[in-house]
Amino acid sequence: MKTLIINLVRRISVPVVIFCLLLGTILTGCAQVATPPQSQQPADVKPIQSTALPVVAGIPRFKIATTTSLYDTGLWNYLEPMFEKKANVRLDIVYAGTGVALEYGKRGDVDAVVVHDPEAEAQFIADGYGINKRSFAFNHFLIAGPAADPAGIKGLSPEQAFKKIYEGGMADPSKVKFISRGDNSGTHSKEKLIWQAAGYKYAADVEKSGPWYVETGKGMGPCLLMANEQQAYLLADISTFLAYKGKVSVVPLVEQGALFLNVYDVMAINPDKITTAKMLPTANAFINWLMSDEVQDIIATYGVAEYGRSLFNPLKGGGCSEPGCPKLEDYTVPVK
Amino acid sequence: MAFLQTVNLEQRAGSKPLLKSINLKIDKGEVFVIIGPTGAGKTTLLRLLDLLDRPYAGDIYLDGIKATDAGVNVMEVRRRLSMVFQKPVVFNNSVFENVAYPLRVRGLDNRSITSRVEGMLEVSGLSGYAKRKAKTLSGGEAQRVALARAMIAEPQVLFMDEPTANLDPASVKAIESLIVEFNRSNNLTVVITTHDMQQGWRLAHRAGVLMQGELVQAGQPGEIFNAPRDIRVAGFVGIKNIMRGVIAWSRTGMAGVEINDRIIEAVSELPAGADVDIYIRPEEIVLSLQGLQGSARNTLAGRVKSVRVEGPLCTAMLDCGFTLEALVTARSAEEMALSEGQEIYASIKATAVKVLPVVESSI
Amino acid sequence: MQELWEALVQAVSLIARLDGEVIEISLRSLYVSAAAILIAAVICVPIGGIIHFHDFKGKRVLINVIQTFYSIPTVVVGLFVFLFISRAGPLGGLELLFTPAAIVIGQVILILPVLTGMTIAALNGVDRAVKDTALSLGASGSQAIWTIIGEARFAVVGALILGFGRAISEVGAAMMLGGNIRGYTRVLTTAISLETQRGDLVLSLALGIILIGIAMVISVIVNILLQRY
Repeated sequence: MKTLIINLVRRISVPVVIFCLLLGTILTGCAQVATPPQSQQPADVKPIQSTALPVVAGIPRFKIATTTSLYDTGLWNYLEPMFEKKANVRLDIVYAGTGVALEYGKRGDVDAVVVHDPEAEAQFIADGYGINKRSFAFNHFLIAGPAADPAGIKGLSPEQAFKKIYEGGMADPSKVKFISRGDNSGTHSKEKLIWQAAGYKYAADVEKSGPWYVETGKGMGPCLLMANEQQAYLLADISTFLAYKGKVSVVPLVEQGALFLNVYDVMAINPDKITTAKMLPTANAFINWLMSDEVQDIIATYGVAEYGRSLFNPLKGGGCSEPGCPKLEDYTVPVK
Repeated sequence: MAFLQTVNLEQRAGSKPLLKSINLKIDKGEVFVIIGPTGAGKTTLLRLLDLLDRPYAGDIYLDGIKATDAGVNVMEVRRRLSMVFQKPVVFNNSVFENVAYPLRVRGLDNRSITSRVEGMLEVSGLSGYAKRKAKTLSGGEAQRVALARAMIAEPQVLFMDEPTANLDPASVKAIESLIVEFNRSNNLTVVITTHDMQQGWRLAHRAGVLMQGELVQAGQPGEIFNAPRDIRVAGFVGIKNIMRGVIAWSRTGMAGVEINDRIIEAVSELPAGADVDIYIRPEEIVLSLQGLQGSARNTLAGRVKSVRVEGPLCTAMLDCGFTLEALVTARSAEEMALSEGQEIYASIKATAVKVLPVVESSI
Repeated sequence: MQELWEALVQAVSLIARLDGEVIEISLRSLYVSAAAILIAAVICVPIGGIIHFHDFKGKRVLINVIQTFYSIPTVVVGLFVFLFISRAGPLGGLELLFTPAAIVIGQVILILPVLTGMTIAALNGVDRAVKDTALSLGASGSQAIWTIIGEARFAVVGALILGFGRAISEVGAAMMLGGNIRGYTRVLTTAISLETQRGDLVLSLALGIILIGIAMVISVIVNILLQRY
């Protein structure tokens, strides 16, 4: 068996190995003489990639799961190297919908979660998985749709708009369609909440009620592209919508409404519940850092240069005054 | 005990017998040719002898070692043997590496491999082929490489399964002279199978006729040709005018064989009533227009069915109640003005009529 | 068409100006999938050999099962491995999830059936007489087996290239197991997925073109190397 393997490696793998080594050497050599990319604006700043190797001796890896909409805007690319330097850790950011992000937390695969679904978060904490929850940013959802607005929702409240879309879709699905994330993300939760407020039972009345209601199971970006292709309505967070502005022809039709409030929270994983979670001090430092003036100031301006307005609003400074906004201590009192 | 010997060797495919009780004796330095029609079991026998397959029953002895013994290291014995297959398989690398293969598996060092391979390529007329990709060779070249490869490790016995079956005449000649060369210079024992009688006669010191899984006859080629043991051998070695009959009477070493209501007298001890096969060599038939008065015991009246002249000879097919093939000179045919439909007499000496007992096929 | 053209231009320019991140991601794709194919080869070629060279009951069925798994969806492999290496899973203690090693594991499992099955097919393709020839020339049993594998090397390396292609082009397992962590587990396919999600279709296409280019270059170079052997 031993000679089998030795012979195998010699006879069959040799060309492959030689080639890989060769190519690796060539490319690495090239990478070393490469000029670093020019930095234009904050969002595009790419941290210097110190190494492509997986293991960096001595520096612990701190893993977080973050909601997709936050990740897609590029904000984390900007914040990541700052925290790595400050806390002397490698910050590994995994992105997923809120439902999946919380699942990663429950399984102990990450040390902290950044999500935006108040109800699911409350359950997560009640089950003992999450501790030290704080809020650090907010923005709003909006309902976008074709500029022709076949359901006639422009200027309505979110609940009224959903009602119109439902009625229009049921009457003629070829004219009125609605694209749903359908992935238990924070955005999906928010959508269900609005359906409920509009007087529908989501599972019974809306889901599978007809071809007008399209469940994609995809992220916000792909949903926007689909809505664009099908000229459909959808609920989107404003940051992703702005990132896609110019790529899609759907326009914001409903932007005002108490239900649209979208608060981003951060939590540590409870080491008492998940015994493998060993990074609580780092998680706490991370939570406190997100509430710090340094990060809050960045949030206040992030995206202005590119989109003409900030993608997220900082909580510090009393920016959030609507019903549903977090209490003062939820974004000011440091965790321990 | 002979150098290479089999004792009651049998092989089967499932329940179907392929070889039946083969008892072969081959001496050291002998070229032994196994002749037999396609499907007779020649390849099966060679594979057993080369220890590639295990026999169903029986034993093989090589140089006094019982090679079929359970305790024998088959590879060790096999390394004293070598085999060239009917369709030569060359490995997908250079001619040099092909020929070096037996030395490599025996763990020789590179230096002696190089010198021995180069020497062998020279002997085999393959100098300059060393770096060629073996897969690009012609059939004849590939067979030469296969032979050189089989010989490089200096085996004591070389088995060759139809070594020239698909080759052009020039390649056949080259391979045959190499075989003779190796046999002479190395006192190599060679066992060759062939369905080509002529090749058998050319190469064999001794030959064995294998038919339907049975070693029917073994001996020097002349013996087999002149005195085939039974009608199958006679048929295979190319004997004409083979007929089946029954002995009608028998006295004092003479017998009358009845064939299609005609009686042919022959020399035979077999009793009346015995089923027999007889054959008459075409050249032993004398043709005449009137019927000869002479010592010939048989004079059959018949009619010429066809005449075919080939150079100095003429083959005439006669109808004498059964078909007879007669061989006369073209001049005689001309003088007699042999032509289709002509009445003719065929005279045959009783001693020219060979009588063989009927053998029931045992397989 | 406009988008395709832009993608092509951008791909060329990304390569031409040696964009640091693109090169880093491409290299990671290469070494992760190369590691996967090498590990898989060490496992599959002997296993394929063992299956090919032994007759046993259910061999045909086993080969059919292996062939059925050729087209196992990558996300199924991803989910399966995820459940094993997640902290809550049986191998959670190894802390493999969201590391490059996790992607390698997923890709190895993904290509195991293809590589094993194609090794068997490659060996089947070798003339049966090769084994007899080797034995008759004095090879031992295992030397004969290696001769056969050597004769099948073109087909086996073909299988390796195919397996490498499947590994480097899959996204399900890499996304699920690696997590697409920037600078750590981001490979070409997960980067493409992310850029699509972000709406940067041109960049996605450009990365896709690089991916195809890598696969093509590998295939060509390996074939050239093979010709020399």
